[in-house]
Amino acid sequence: MKKCALLPLALLGLSLGLSAQTPAAPQTPPPPAAVAITDADLKNVEAPQPELRAKGDPDGALTGTVSDVAVSDSKKGLTIADVVNQVGQNKIAINFVWTLIAGFLVMFMQAGFAIVETGLCRAKNAGHTMMMNFMVYGVGMLAYWLIGFSLQMGGVGAVGNLGGSPVLNSEFAVTLFGKTFGLFGQNGFFLMHNGTYDVTVMVIFLFQMVFMDTTLTIVTGSAAERWKFAAFLVSSFLLGAFIYPLFANWAWGGGWLANLGANFGLGHGYVDFAGSGVVHSVGGLCALAMAIIIGPRIGKFDRQGRPTAIPGHDIALVLTGCFILAFGWFGFNPGSTLGASGNGNLRIGSVAVNTMLAGMAGGFGAMLYMWLRYGKPDASMSGNGLLAGLVAITAPCGFVNPVASVIIGLIAGVLVCLSVEFMERVMKVDDPVGAISVHGVNGLWGVISVGLFADGKSNYGGSWNGVSGSVTGLFYGDSGQLVAQLIGVSALIGVVFVIYFAANVLVDVVVGQRVGAKAELEGLDLPEVGVLCYPEFEIKSK
Amino acid sequence: MAAIGLIVTFLGFLLSLFSLSLASSNGARLGLVLAGIAVSLIGIIGIVNRAYLKNAIWKR
Repeated sequence: MKKCALLPLALLGLSLGLSAQTPAAPQTPPPPAAVAITDADLKNVEAPQPELRAKGDPDGALTGTVSDVAVSDSKKGLTIADVVNQVGQNKIAINFVWTLIAGFLVMFMQAGFAIVETGLCRAKNAGHTMMMNFMVYGVGMLAYWLIGFSLQMGGVGAVGNLGGSPVLNSEFAVTLFGKTFGLFGQNGFFLMHNGTYDVTVMVIFLFQMVFMDTTLTIVTGSAAERWKFAAFLVSSFLLGAFIYPLFANWAWGGGWLANLGANFGLGHGYVDFAGSGVVHSVGGLCALAMAIIIGPRIGKFDRQGRPTAIPGHDIALVLTGCFILAFGWFGFNPGSTLGASGNGNLRIGSVAVNTMLAGMAGGFGAMLYMWLRYGKPDASMSGNGLLAGLVAITAPCGFVNPVASVIIGLIAGVLVCLSVEFMERVMKVDDPVGAISVHGVNGLWGVISVGLFADGKSNYGGSWNGVSGSVTGLFYGDSGQLVAQLIGVSALIGVVFVIYFAANVLVDVVVGQRVGAKAELEGLDLPEVGVLCYPEFEIKSK
Repeated sequence: MAAIGLIVTFLGFLLSLFSLSLASSNGARLGLVLAGIAVSLIGIIGIVNRAYLKNAIWKR
């Protein structure tokens, strides 16, 4: 009965609702006419009374007011120009702080790499592995400060997010196919050359330096447990001073790869948001070159060339290091906007979420692959899967959606397992930590994935690499972007690998890359760095 | 032998680079770039690495 009684009421209400829509929608009132603010208006803005301020400010209402806006001329008092300048400085200050803190996070990744690599090595080499990871920070920074930064960023031009300082303005270029090909920068040596003693340049240097150091520390992983310390120093200097900056200039410093879009109509040119190619593939391919030159560890392969497992000594260190790296990646990827304010930079939230999703998917992908193939969810490969997912999302993180991020990470997690097997069983290359597969192979996958999955929704100030509009991959209609990405892949394999290989053959001749067999069997801690990492342990040679 | 491998690897890059002038359509460029990458991989995996494996420590 009740239902029957309610039905007419409901119909009545519905008809009222419908009839209420019939009249024309009420017009929104016109916005109030804009009134220009004058300096006189600013005089009426009251600062907190000194007596009130003297009582403290427990709720924060009296701190950060008109009295904190810098006044350029005390006689005139506060003017519109003062307010506008303060707004501009606030924007740049937000971007400075954002970029610097992101850089500090990336710097801490050195600790993550150090303990991941050390945990994956044997206890008898722990001190040597830690020492390489420790000193790579110093030798890399020295090389980059002296030479590398200017080669990479010396011709990048103004970076709008960081104040648009124009002092990095000299790029060496050649003409090829009727177009300008930027090859390396020429300004900024010692951070003093040609006006580069500049606040913006300092922020750019810090952020780029920690990226470069990440590349250097990748190589120490593949050459661990047999790399002569002196050779490591020389090789790392060459990588930080010349080889890394060369490719980084082509991609990020205004070089020819970045301009493939503007010059040849290939999408937005080579796009690498945070460095799957620039940082990780460069590091991974150099790691491959070094692993080939230096050869496998004694006992890694039997006389028939079959690989044998040499387990690391501390899986707890490995997984803790992976967590530190995943934390640092929040500086690596979101920080690569070089700002949080203006120019579409609010996409930092999307970049951060894409980063964490791909890392998760990579860890799952590797764990499931190992579980299905070998019957156990291998802990070290799960860690490497997480890192592989993070490496792969580093290039596309600024241009793809969350679903694509998970797909990219999942593929990376499986790819790292397949690649480790390929390196050991087919190429017979000994890579104690999986650096080649994690960084090299998945870095290349990350570069390619931009050309596939970029969804055309990002907008960082309306253009990228001098081409207006959003970066769009093959699946969203732009095949040219994929071609640009693959040319970048080709440059990584065909140029970076070759130069690094040739340079390190020379180092091998002059310094010698590999330690003697006796030192290798005893462990490198005492022979190479003069201190045992675990002096109270009984270390067994194998 | 390793030096020849390095040259082949670099030639693969040149093939990719010259796709910019040899072809104008994205499809043709894609084909040339992929061919260049394949040549470079042959240089590394098939020539450079094999040259070093001849004297590998586990064969001694």
